[in-house]
Amino acid sequence: MTEYSGVLADVRRGMIPAHIYNDPQVFELEKERVFGRAWIFVAHESEIPDAGDYVVRRVLQDSFIIARDEQGVVRAHFNMCLHRGMQVCRAEMGNASHFRCPYHGWSYRNDGRLTGLPFHQDAYGGEAGFRRKGQRLLPAPNLASYNGLIFISLDPAAEPLADYLGDFRFYLDYYTKQSVSGIQLHGPQRWRVKANWKIGAENFAGDMYHTPHTHTSVVEIGLFREPRAAKRKEGCTYWAHVGGGTTYKLPPGDLDERFRYVGYPQEMVDRMKQNLSADQLKVVGEDGFMISAATIYPNLSFVHNWPKVANTDQVLPFISIRQWQPISEDETEVLSWFAVDAEAPEEFKALSYKAYLMCFGSTGMFEQDDVENWVSLTSTAAGSMARRLLLNSRMGLLEDGTEVAPPLNPEQFHGPGLAHPGYSEFNQRALLARWADHIERPMAGTPRLEMGEAVEEPR
Amino acid sequence: MRTPNSVLGAHASPLQRAGRTLPFGDERHLLAHQWLVDEAWLLDAQAYEEWLDLLTEDIHYLMPVRVTTAAGAGYDTSPGMAHFDEDKYSLSRRVARFLTEHAWTEDPPSRLRHHLSNVRTFATGDDDHLIAESATLLFRSRGDVREGALVSAGREDLLRRTPDGWKLARRTIMADDAVIRMQNLAIFL
Repeated sequence: MTEYSGVLADVRRGMIPAHIYNDPQVFELEKERVFGRAWIFVAHESEIPDAGDYVVRRVLQDSFIIARDEQGVVRAHFNMCLHRGMQVCRAEMGNASHFRCPYHGWSYRNDGRLTGLPFHQDAYGGEAGFRRKGQRLLPAPNLASYNGLIFISLDPAAEPLADYLGDFRFYLDYYTKQSVSGIQLHGPQRWRVKANWKIGAENFAGDMYHTPHTHTSVVEIGLFREPRAAKRKEGCTYWAHVGGGTTYKLPPGDLDERFRYVGYPQEMVDRMKQNLSADQLKVVGEDGFMISAATIYPNLSFVHNWPKVANTDQVLPFISIRQWQPISEDETEVLSWFAVDAEAPEEFKALSYKAYLMCFGSTGMFEQDDVENWVSLTSTAAGSMARRLLLNSRMGLLEDGTEVAPPLNPEQFHGPGLAHPGYSEFNQRALLARWADHIERPMAGTPRLEMGEAVEEPR
Repeated sequence: MRTPNSVLGAHASPLQRAGRTLPFGDERHLLAHQWLVDEAWLLDAQAYEEWLDLLTEDIHYLMPVRVTTAAGAGYDTSPGMAHFDEDKYSLSRRVARFLTEHAWTEDPPSRLRHHLSNVRTFATGDDDHLIAESATLLFRSRGDVREGALVSAGREDLLRRTPDGWKLARRTIMADDAVIRMQNLAIFL
């Protein structure tokens, strides 16, 4: 790691070597040490509600079948036939009791177990030659979920997901636990952009500073009730363990009024009051902050905003969950889902979806301008001059390291972690500091599985 | 083309095609074909205010998200999700945004070419409405050195005769990619 120790030291003091946004060697390390280790989002349980439902999702190049088996258990298996390595499932979603490999006809139940092996007796001599019993598709080394969000980790020794998410769960609940039923996801829209995956992750983690400029046009066309995008500086950012995000400052009012201000009907507010904790409600009702964008390290982001959806003054909130799936050092596949509380009124769901389409996703008017910037940044970071330039990501700090504004105290902000008022880059630095910690540590050896050896029965 | 369900299309005209393809010499076909070519020119030129005038007040403009499913699954669009699921208001905001000085994604502007082909026209059982089917291939070039991007799609349009000429009342755009290979859809198809 000596050749990168300088890069990592610079990153940790908030001076970012520009080439990390387009560097094949850095990307090789990320593949091994970030994506080989972190918990990575793959699906939400609402995408596979019934027995046999499945979606196929990737972690970098590795394809996984995320399926609900006949007992209702969610499973994640590497999408490769144990025999000759053919992709077992070539659709991206559907419902199936079995997956049959198109090459030689080996078949697997939706819980991963090998059931069909043509000519088992003739070709292998039966169980004596190839032990079919107990064989299953290679499971993801770790699988866990929180509020229906399914994550996998390629690291067999990964810490439990609950510990990995830590205090960020407090903020995750605003997006995913507005009622006991939780969210339902639609999508994703998928598209590829010639941009490095870290840029979107950093932007959603804490960049309130770009809103007034990048997104001037959506304010000018009257999509928002607030006349000036500069209002963003009245919000705060927070960082809690594995992730961080941004907020908007709400006008005076009580809890109900503030939720209704962003467009939630009272019945949804009532459910949130039952499902969120006292401190989660105080952040809105007493502190006056409404969560907006956020990122969980490494590449899962969230949005919550409330535009007008018709030619009236009424605004309506939407939630989007998005993943920055790296393709290479200069290309990212964006997966962008629309999320809505499952118990929301049907009319709310439809209009919230409309709000999402207008603002984010492949056609979203916010997203259009973001991507243009990120593509440009990535291509500029490819050359030799970018290796000489350290980008200043120290906003919120004076030269001697003291903070431009002190963090909010527990009476001003009731959420866990550290919250700062106004524009800053505390969160982007926190995100890249975690990245540096991963890049620095080599991986322990990867276990191998021999096809045909006995493996554990699924639990 | 299978018409997918959309979340926001309840207001759209339900008229469907009636009968076989109109002969290429049929006046109604010639009219629909010319309408599409003229429209493609407006979209290439990014003359979006004029384009908006060609849309009826009850327009439904839909571009589903295509998904790869097993043969026989019975669907190939993402349930409850689309790229565009628009009415006149949302389209008017998109157009208004391009007309501001701060739509960075189109500054400098893209060079666009909507290649139009495979036009087939159908009657609807209502003399004031025609259905036109077409293929479109959009080539979009941004900047000086970036590679151009393509979107290939089939479309089904419902055209309506109005006192101000023929207008578009409904459009369904079926992209041929499941994963869009363009940095955004800050364009119309």
